[in-house]
Amino acid sequence: MDYFPTLATRVSLALLLVLFLGAIGVYPSTAGADPPQLEKPKGERCIRDTNWMRHNHMDLLKHNRSLTVREGKRIRSESLLQCAGCHPNRDRFCDRCHGYVAVAPDCFECHIYPE
Amino acid sequence: MTMDRRSVLGLGGMLAAGVLLAPGLRLVAAPEEATEASDKRRWAMLIDTNQCDPSCTSCMKACRVENNVPLFGDPKRDIHWIRKVELRPKDGKGPDRSLPMLCNHCENPPCVHVCPTQASFIRKDGLVLIDMHRCIGCRYCMIACPYKARSLVYNEPPESASHNRKVPRRAMGVVEKCTFCVHRLDEGGQPACVEACSNEGKGGMLFGDVNDPNSAISQKLHQVLSTTIRPDLGLKPRVHYQGI
Amino acid sequence: MLSEFSAIQGRSSGYWKLVALSSGVFLLGLGAFLAIEVRGHGITGMNNQVVWGLPHVFAITLLVMASGALNLGSMSTVFATIQFKQFTRFSAFLSIVLLIGGLTVLLLDLGRPDRMLLPMLYMNFRSMFTWNVFLYSGFMILCLLYLWSMFEYKQFTKVVGSTAFAWRVILTTGTGSIFGVIHARDVFYSAITGPMFVAVSLTSGTALSTLLLVGTYQQTKRHLDDKLVFGLRNALIFFTLLVGYLFVVEKFTKFYSPAFYEVETWLLTGPWAWLYWLGVWGGCVIFPLVILFHKRLGNTVKGVFIASIITVVGAFAFVGHNLLAGQAYPFDMFPGYQLSSVFLDGQDAHYLPSVVELVLGLGGIGLSALLFLLGIRFFRLLPAKAVPPPGWELPWSP
Repeated sequence: MDYFPTLATRVSLALLLVLFLGAIGVYPSTAGADPPQLEKPKGERCIRDTNWMRHNHMDLLKHNRSLTVREGKRIRSESLLQCAGCHPNRDRFCDRCHGYVAVAPDCFECHIYPE
Repeated sequence: MTMDRRSVLGLGGMLAAGVLLAPGLRLVAAPEEATEASDKRRWAMLIDTNQCDPSCTSCMKACRVENNVPLFGDPKRDIHWIRKVELRPKDGKGPDRSLPMLCNHCENPPCVHVCPTQASFIRKDGLVLIDMHRCIGCRYCMIACPYKARSLVYNEPPESASHNRKVPRRAMGVVEKCTFCVHRLDEGGQPACVEACSNEGKGGMLFGDVNDPNSAISQKLHQVLSTTIRPDLGLKPRVHYQGI
Repeated sequence: MLSEFSAIQGRSSGYWKLVALSSGVFLLGLGAFLAIEVRGHGITGMNNQVVWGLPHVFAITLLVMASGALNLGSMSTVFATIQFKQFTRFSAFLSIVLLIGGLTVLLLDLGRPDRMLLPMLYMNFRSMFTWNVFLYSGFMILCLLYLWSMFEYKQFTKVVGSTAFAWRVILTTGTGSIFGVIHARDVFYSAITGPMFVAVSLTSGTALSTLLLVGTYQQTKRHLDDKLVFGLRNALIFFTLLVGYLFVVEKFTKFYSPAFYEVETWLLTGPWAWLYWLGVWGGCVIFPLVILFHKRLGNTVKGVFIASIITVVGAFAFVGHNLLAGQAYPFDMFPGYQLSSVFLDGQDAHYLPSVVELVLGLGGIGLSALLFLLGIRFFRLLPAKAVPPPGWELPWSP
């Protein structure tokens, strides 16, 4: 019996090590940078509490999306098109924060944000 | 809320007369805050091929503008939600025909039957729609549809200056087709092709709710001889043709 | 007594060259997948008339052969064909690797491969695809159990092997029914499409097993008794006759109905007729039979080897013809009228595969080959010396 691991075993161990090092974060990160300043909204009040929106807007969008597409339920004030009423600039609102937290939603690959 | 609209429709005679007098007239002026598809409705279309001019493509153009349907300039991969088909009798007898073809919104849609993710589905009001967020692009529906109603988005669509913001643009790799302009229907409107046909063409397209016995389309379907495409397949299409 | 099972040594440069080649092909396939993923299906030859192209031909043929690869196992475990008992491990393992190769290509050819897990979340039980998700994964599990029982728990081999056999018949009927249930397509709408796929899986699976057995034993300079190859030849003859029979029944039924005159005439004489006659009839039935029944060729390992190659190519032709001719035939939406439109209604569809999709399809074969090569090196799948069991004689020869 060979005590020394085979070439294949050694290569896979090395690969695992590299992956592990990558996972614990040898990459440069933006942590510590100041949170981005988002554009002040125009309207008086958001359709939900601001703090709630900060954490849950994606659930709201996704939930309404399914309801609208599949059930034909359209709530006009909660439509994606209505966001622009208070947040007219996508770059200075959605994208700025999404860039900061490095989450890339693909809504706007198809949907057109009103300006 | 929908019940209200339904009962308004149900008032019958008076409104039906109005509909007959002014096809395309909007029954609901401004969209309400919240609306929902009604399972009591069944949208359908009647196309009078005698009124369809071979040289007229206004329905196709209107659809492209309304739904942001791009042209790639490659006939094999261009997307067509609605297209004009020319018919020439094989035996040379009888006149040529020209007619628009679009998704037939079948009662038994084979595309929905074969879709592995339920991305293609039947909405409560009978519309056959595609949930673009769920389509995996397997294209089995394109194999199953006998009307060639569906197209895959093969390329990144070209940048276009003008967009209808109410309809999303294209996503590469998913399948798409005619929606009967669902966004317009939900606001009480008519499909863009029907509107274009009555404005620019000869008004050969009639659209409405066949569950409402007083609607113009219900009445006309009873009066005239009409057919559907490939009735032998048992799909019960909701696009009816008159004059072929 | 049967000799001991042993893994191949796999130290020769030939072995490593094969491993490098198959990994290379697989990696190229992955590259092709990435290219399609980034640039879209526009870089393939597919279009809105022919929506399933070469990758599907490769994937489905591999899946058909995966079910067929279980033949040797089933013949021994279910039908007590004792001379093949020594190949049951090999057979079950080959099924698994072909299945993996085929499914990989199928998934990588999706328009949105990033969403490939959605069918698991939202199941539509009316879709043949959903059925196949269960049939394929179930088959994979059964093959693994079958292998495991052969290695460790011999008392379960019979029951697991029999279940796997029943499963593979249903599985390949399901694969064929992807096409057979589609009423819109005159070319492949038929109750017999499923059984035809089963029959082709029997021939192509047996042929591929023959190729791999003969190849492996020759390359590793181990002994494979010619009589075993001729036993495989006899099985292949029987299955090929079955394929021919189903082909005839299908064409006869279709041609009997005037409704199908047009499409059937188009198939036999139209733009895809070459593939039908040369590939489907030639590759699946006629050429192999001529060789296998030949007094001299049929009695040589070389002859059987060549007939097996033709049979495997024939399986590709069969699936390809079904798929491509089936999609190229224009819909007859208004009988009695010639159609024309900007959407190419009423015209035979054109399809010219691009290199990218060919590479993607070959990538699946590369993956299967790689897994097979690794499998025979690391597991004891094949007997060190393959000889007929004592008392067994070859029942028939041409």
